Amino acid sequence: MIRKEISKISEIGKALISVEGNPGVALNHVVELLEADTNQSLSFAKAINISENSTRFQVFNGTQGLSTHTKIRMHEVPLTAGFSYNMLGRSFDGVGNVADGGPEIIFEKEVSTRLDTLNPTVRLVPKQALWTGIPMIDVFNTLVKSQKIPIFAGPTEPYNRLLSQIAQGAQADIIIFAGIGLKFDEYQYFKEQLSQSGNIDKTIMFTHLAGDSQIKGLMLPDVALGVAREFADQGKDVLVLLTDMTNWSNILRNVANYQDQIPSLQGYPGSLYSELAKRYEVAADIEGAGSITIIGATTLESLEDPVPDNTGYITEGQFFLENGKLKLARSLSRLKQQVNGATRNDHRPIMTVMASLLADAEKAYEAAEVGAANDAFSQKLLRYREDFIANMEEPFGESIELEAALDQCWQILKRHFKPTETGLSKKLIDEYWNKN
Amino acid sequence: MDCNKRTGTLISIQDSLVKARFLGEVKMGEMAEIMVDGHLLQAEVLQIQPDFKNPQAGIAEMQVFEDLTGAQIGDLVEFKGKPLSVLLGPGLLTSIWDGLQNPLYKLGEQDAYLVPGLKAPALDVEKLWEFTPTVKVGEELSGGDSIGYVPEGRLEHKILVPFNLGKCKLKSIVGKCKLNITQEVAVVVDEQNNNHVLNLAFRQSVKSPIPFKERAIPSQTISTGVRVIDLLAPVGYGGTVGNPGPFGAGKTVLQHSLCKYALADIIIMAACGERAGEAVEVFKDFAELDDPSTGESLMKRMCIFGNTSSMPVAAREASVFIALTVGEYYRYQGYNVILLADSTSRWAQALRERSGRQGDIPGPEAFPMDIPDQIKGMYQRAGSDVGTGGSLTFIGTVSPAGGNFQEPVTQATMDATGGFWGLSQDRADAKKYPAIDPLVYTTSVYDSFISWDDRKNMLQTLHESNDIDQTISTIGLKKVPIDKYVQYQKGQTIDFCVMQQDAFHEVDACTRPERLEIINQAVQKLINTPIEFSQNEMNDEELKDLVKIKFDELRQWWKDWNSNAQSAEQMNELDVKLEQFIKQEEA
Repeated sequence: MIRKEISKISEIGKALISVEGNPGVALNHVVELLEADTNQSLSFAKAINISENSTRFQVFNGTQGLSTHTKIRMHEVPLTAGFSYNMLGRSFDGVGNVADGGPEIIFEKEVSTRLDTLNPTVRLVPKQALWTGIPMIDVFNTLVKSQKIPIFAGPTEPYNRLLSQIAQGAQADIIIFAGIGLKFDEYQYFKEQLSQSGNIDKTIMFTHLAGDSQIKGLMLPDVALGVAREFADQGKDVLVLLTDMTNWSNILRNVANYQDQIPSLQGYPGSLYSELAKRYEVAADIEGAGSITIIGATTLESLEDPVPDNTGYITEGQFFLENGKLKLARSLSRLKQQVNGATRNDHRPIMTVMASLLADAEKAYEAAEVGAANDAFSQKLLRYREDFIANMEEPFGESIELEAALDQCWQILKRHFKPTETGLSKKLIDEYWNKN
Repeated sequence: MDCNKRTGTLISIQDSLVKARFLGEVKMGEMAEIMVDGHLLQAEVLQIQPDFKNPQAGIAEMQVFEDLTGAQIGDLVEFKGKPLSVLLGPGLLTSIWDGLQNPLYKLGEQDAYLVPGLKAPALDVEKLWEFTPTVKVGEELSGGDSIGYVPEGRLEHKILVPFNLGKCKLKSIVGKCKLNITQEVAVVVDEQNNNHVLNLAFRQSVKSPIPFKERAIPSQTISTGVRVIDLLAPVGYGGTVGNPGPFGAGKTVLQHSLCKYALADIIIMAACGERAGEAVEVFKDFAELDDPSTGESLMKRMCIFGNTSSMPVAAREASVFIALTVGEYYRYQGYNVILLADSTSRWAQALRERSGRQGDIPGPEAFPMDIPDQIKGMYQRAGSDVGTGGSLTFIGTVSPAGGNFQEPVTQATMDATGGFWGLSQDRADAKKYPAIDPLVYTTSVYDSFISWDDRKNMLQTLHESNDIDQTISTIGLKKVPIDKYVQYQKGQTIDFCVMQQDAFHEVDACTRPERLEIINQAVQKLINTPIEFSQNEMNDEELKDLVKIKFDELRQWWKDWNSNAQSAEQMNELDVKLEQFIKQEEA
């Protein structure tokens, strides 16, 4: 097939190029940029804005080195991602090119990266817990198959270690790693961890390193999720690790800025919410097929930043990491109610009372700072708080089964309180208090 | 090609916004269809501009409700002449649509994914309905008058003359028979002597509100089953409420509680730009729950518009207006309808995205300058109608950026609504549900199930208790006098046992007015009676310890009562317990 070509680029900016007039390209379709003399392929680009006067493209490999004479060849299809089971164990860039120096892959099929919305009627109501061995998650914020949930953490927190730890024990057929704006050592860390745990053979890594072309980073989640979706459509339970979505949002902000879009908050485009939602909503348990669970990482300075703020409204809760601890107060699994009623009968009540006591303890802690927590009960709360942080909010301890973790909860309560001070029902007190 | 068709061609495409050149006439707000890659995509005209390249032509700017991948310059546009409308008729209840009234189950039969161009009829066109006429040939009618009814579940669904018709006369009507929504039911003749065929269903423009017969101020309180609302922040049938809260504060759980327990004939849910999973939970899990007033499946009183967060943004705006129009339609038939819109912030953001693309000068936080007026206009469509006996209650959630209630949408909503259920981050962090802060966000617009004095008494105690709590935090418990400490414990007890509720417990999740009254009696008794705790030989610290132990025991008992008491005898135990408690007798 002979592909149409154009040979005059009228405008070259950061990540974007424009041509005059309308060369007959369709919205979101891919073009290839070629060196004028040698026909050597320089990059691919996507049409994002077309009118009869001009057409604008996002250039995957960046615009450095492009000239007004660079040739544009039309491909007349939207961006697709190659799919094959041979991708397992391998690494790719943001648009699906082999990136580990290994042999090229012969793809079984090309899958759409448009991420069309799954018809809600085809979604199953999630009902299956994914156990992690981390008490703060299993007891207090149970993770559920098909959940979409990010780790919120400051940039220096060990969020990638936590992400990797959750992935190690994950009950998933396929792990898709999608790293955007990663430092090289982070990429290497994940690769090693996945190898050591023997999970690498069921993992596909899509990686965009800090400093790589911005457009490739921008496209990466769509390519990774397109591939994940194909596995799920084929009946696999897929776990997607998205790190770090703040990097991705910042690329989105840069590109919106290059396109002269009117910014809403802190320079981010007004569409930030919809753009994040489009990716996270790919998580689903699909009737008659497999499932996609998404665990992300969102780095933040403050919870009020637009990226964590919008993410919180989209995802089904968040795990909040602070000073290396998984904090109960700001962590939430919105789907936990779907699964924690079917576990041990003390699971829900103990979760509630421990949280409420911890909130009181935080108040006592604040009071103690001004010397106002001198009564006996406040002192109890303070000791409880320390115990709780050390034993329940530690995510990197030994893996603990749910029932053992629940027993540990009773032991903590018993160490510090009288039964009536807990607010637990008499029935439960009778059943568990003296057992532990 | 049909030469009566009004058409144009695309000259510009940017995300969901396109421009088309046309010759002849185009109406502001009319719908258009664009042929993209063999699929017809729906669009709405937003603006009409002159064409400087071709003085004979004009340029129509449109928002497209579906993904435009593959669209090209020169793609054909056909203008449909009618504004965005909704199909009204029997079969609305139990339906689950996308934001443009495409039934999701029918679309699911065609493809698991919502690919652009997928369509299906809004209402079942084959289902037969048992029609009973209530008017006779020759009768004078006008828009909104009923010509008969069909049973729709438990309800009598009135068949109305379309609202856009003026005075007319009934020329013919079928007798009692079974019909589908496309068959002729009646013919009316208007004053210009034109015949109009009436069906069981008709289309109504969503931007022109269905009128009230006789609008009135909401006077009857809705039993929502949520104690803090029904006691301190009630809403009346036909009222409006804004429900803002940062993420994780419990908006969704509260919405689901209202879906399950609020007493109404019909609940409409507009899942606007929110998580798909939550809408799915409603239509899949709630279908197995019972309607509190009829005992039937909850879905029988519901319909759902699911324009979830990953669906095309342009259709979000449409989804809220479509849902409102369906609500008005049932109100006109005399039913009490509650519309839950989750979330109006996403709706406002859709307007923001659009106005940004159109290049409008932005207002605060880049929202369109007129966003407060648009929000007010939307809430104003709710109301109570004594002429029909129906009402439309509008409860909209708001998702303020950064949890900051000072942002434009929250502010405009506070201004537009009668009630305001603000969810507090602090209460949510302490896992207190519902996280409505009774000290900040109660409302006096609507009547409550308890007297005004009782309400004031309760609020005052909560305020005092909160003040003492702050004193304890700053100067320590030791310096607080014992009577203040008792007062503090009373407030804490009301907060813990009455204001907080377990939304997932079969008994505690819903409190009806009779039970509320028993609770109120107990609360008033607790507040109004001074309690003497034994003081012999005890120092201040020991006494406070004793007070705390006693109140802890009471709270534990009360919490158990909340989840266990069901029979009349068990219900009365609360009063007995309180009597014992205030006298400090051993049980």
